[in-house]
Amino acid sequence: MTMAAERSARHSRSRTWTRLGDFASRWSFMAPAAIILGALLAYPIFYTIEISFSRFDLMTFSAVEWVGWENYAHVLDDYRFWASMKVTLIYLALALPIQIALGFGIAFLINAEWRGRAVVRALFIIPMVVAPVVAGGVFRMILDPLWGIMNYLLGLVGIGPLDWFGDPNLAMAAIVIIDTWRWTPFVVLIATAALLALPKDVFEAADIDGANWWSKLWSITLPLLVPIIAATFVVRWLGAVKMFDIALAATYGGPGGATNVINLFIYEEAFRSLRFAESAAMAVIILVLTMILTGLFLVGTRRLEDHY
Amino acid sequence: MVKFDAANAVSRRALMVAAAAVMLTGVPAYAQDNGLGTPEQPVEVRMIANEAFANQWQTLMVPEFNKAYPNIKVTIDGVPYVELLAKTMLDATGPTPTYDILIADDPWVPQLAEVGALADLKSAEFAGWTAADYDWADFNAAPLAAGEWKGVQYGVPLRSNMLMMFYNRALYEKAGVPEPTPALTWAEYLEQAPKLVQDTNADGKPDAWAVDTYFVREPLTPTIWQTIMNSNGGRLLDDNGKPAFNSEAGIAALETHKKLLEFAPTGAVSHGFSESLQAFRQGVVATMFNWGSVFKGSAIDPKTTTLKPEQVGIQVMPLGSTGPGAHRGIWNGTVSAKSEHKQAAWAVVQWLSSKQGEAWHSANLGVFPARKSTLASEPSEAWLKPVFAALQQAYDASEKGQMWRIRHPRSDAAQQILADEVSRAMAGQATAAEALQTAADKIEKVLN
Repeated sequence: MTMAAERSARHSRSRTWTRLGDFASRWSFMAPAAIILGALLAYPIFYTIEISFSRFDLMTFSAVEWVGWENYAHVLDDYRFWASMKVTLIYLALALPIQIALGFGIAFLINAEWRGRAVVRALFIIPMVVAPVVAGGVFRMILDPLWGIMNYLLGLVGIGPLDWFGDPNLAMAAIVIIDTWRWTPFVVLIATAALLALPKDVFEAADIDGANWWSKLWSITLPLLVPIIAATFVVRWLGAVKMFDIALAATYGGPGGATNVINLFIYEEAFRSLRFAESAAMAVIILVLTMILTGLFLVGTRRLEDHY
Repeated sequence: MVKFDAANAVSRRALMVAAAAVMLTGVPAYAQDNGLGTPEQPVEVRMIANEAFANQWQTLMVPEFNKAYPNIKVTIDGVPYVELLAKTMLDATGPTPTYDILIADDPWVPQLAEVGALADLKSAEFAGWTAADYDWADFNAAPLAAGEWKGVQYGVPLRSNMLMMFYNRALYEKAGVPEPTPALTWAEYLEQAPKLVQDTNADGKPDAWAVDTYFVREPLTPTIWQTIMNSNGGRLLDDNGKPAFNSEAGIAALETHKKLLEFAPTGAVSHGFSESLQAFRQGVVATMFNWGSVFKGSAIDPKTTTLKPEQVGIQVMPLGSTGPGAHRGIWNGTVSAKSEHKQAAWAVVQWLSSKQGEAWHSANLGVFPARKSTLASEPSEAWLKPVFAALQQAYDASEKGQMWRIRHPRSDAAQQILADEVSRAMAGQATAAEALQTAADKIEKVLN
């Protein structure tokens, strides 16, 4: 072997060692986070999937026997599952557009320069830090047909008394109102930040061209905000699809099953009926559906970003 | 064999020492055993219980218990009712359970027993730790049966409860309706109900209603329907354990339960335990079907009620074709089968369910007793006298009509199905017949 070849081989070996060392040092930093993520996130998901295909033995509190798709068949055969899915879709179809429209609308209004704006922004955060169960309980008192202040106020203008938790439509409206009260401030915060980040030169150019308030809103602000609106929608969607605690505290899923959102149904089947295997099957179905829909929303968001 | 004999000899010596100790000190032998701790080495037992009364027990009951058993340290963890069964199961089925004493609601004993979580309280081991004057026969049959499953006694009644009828005498008088008596029938009650919806302040709007009770979508709501059905001869399950409630009696009972809504306050379809209690204590409903244990807070304690003791009456629920109605709700004291301190755990449960413990519990915390002797005795408080009389009637009615929830390892799943379907009928989303047929089909699958 020539000297050059030897040097080249040595160089190559040293490069390999450098790469390996680099790889090892990177993973030594990443490993703790990866292990924690694997333990806290991946393991529960895979365990849920395992339970969903098994018979759950309460004596050992574990999955004991592979039963294939049996739990899924039970779930899909249960009209209550489909009814809960329908209720969840109605809730999402009502709550998300209202929260997005209201959040961006309020952000637009409070974006103007006025005294006390900072205080109002700070106050907006309060509903977000109230626990959902507390919010549900408080609104249950506010909307109580006998003693609640809402019916008293409506009575002053000749409306009511409204049976907020007894009428299926009003019960759904109550859930949407409570959820909107809690989460609109979150949308307001994002929208306010987005509005502040909009390029000023575009608006100055529009002013020079003589554009009025509406033209600027419709032709500049909204198109520039579309990617943010879409991203906010996805974030809220992921939060809203998990909602169950407000319904648990305010309506108990009733009347009938009018507000029995899917996560409340899963919770009740697991922790009240102790049907963990069927509940796990439902959770997996919801996980898959949520992943598919979230994927579609993300694709849509990217397209909107490209378009605008 | 030699070892066996030696062991016997040791046991005999131990027995003689124990007997001598009893003679010298006058303290029962079971209280001297190391399983009950010593001043140097106290025993610690942990209890899991409903948070609704766990704190009260920890602060009031445990110090009283410690007067008799100073070397047993009792720690009680309160858990919200809706999570209690799942948490108890999770803990009890683990290799080293945290809890020695499990406080189980009426329908939970079969589930816990079936997974091997509970100790047999009448086994030879426990018999050796049971006081000679602990009178099993003194318990009323209905509450004691709540702690039994497949012929084995796993629990004893610690907090006995019955669904009862409460009435507001002032509202009855104002409406000119005769006060209810235990002879009141459902037909008579429904005939009187419209008169009990009143406009007491003459502003043209009703401000007092006939009834409030469970109507909301939750597992205890079907107990009202079930009680009406049971008192009319209907049954939840037949002798083969198959649903039998989708019968004429069951449908009629559910229609009666729904009819009560017509005479209840606005929004009562979303009312359950707390809301109906609030309505009654505020004096806006003439009758309430609720758990008897709320009597003290509804009639006696001015901190929790606007009503005066003389205003509130209590009795069994109205008569059906076969007798009065009641519904059993017992909190059972059970001992974990895996507990390392079974003797100490049983000492706690045994003391609280003994004649002495029950009398203290009833007099000081207003908790209902399960023993015949306690109910027949002169109560420490005058207000307890009519309550005890009504309670004894309720126990008898409950036993006669088997007025309790489904007893099965999957009873909670069945109860949730009943809650869903009764609620659908209440909300008008299904007829009584449709709702009960759906419930029967589903429960049959669940119980198999």
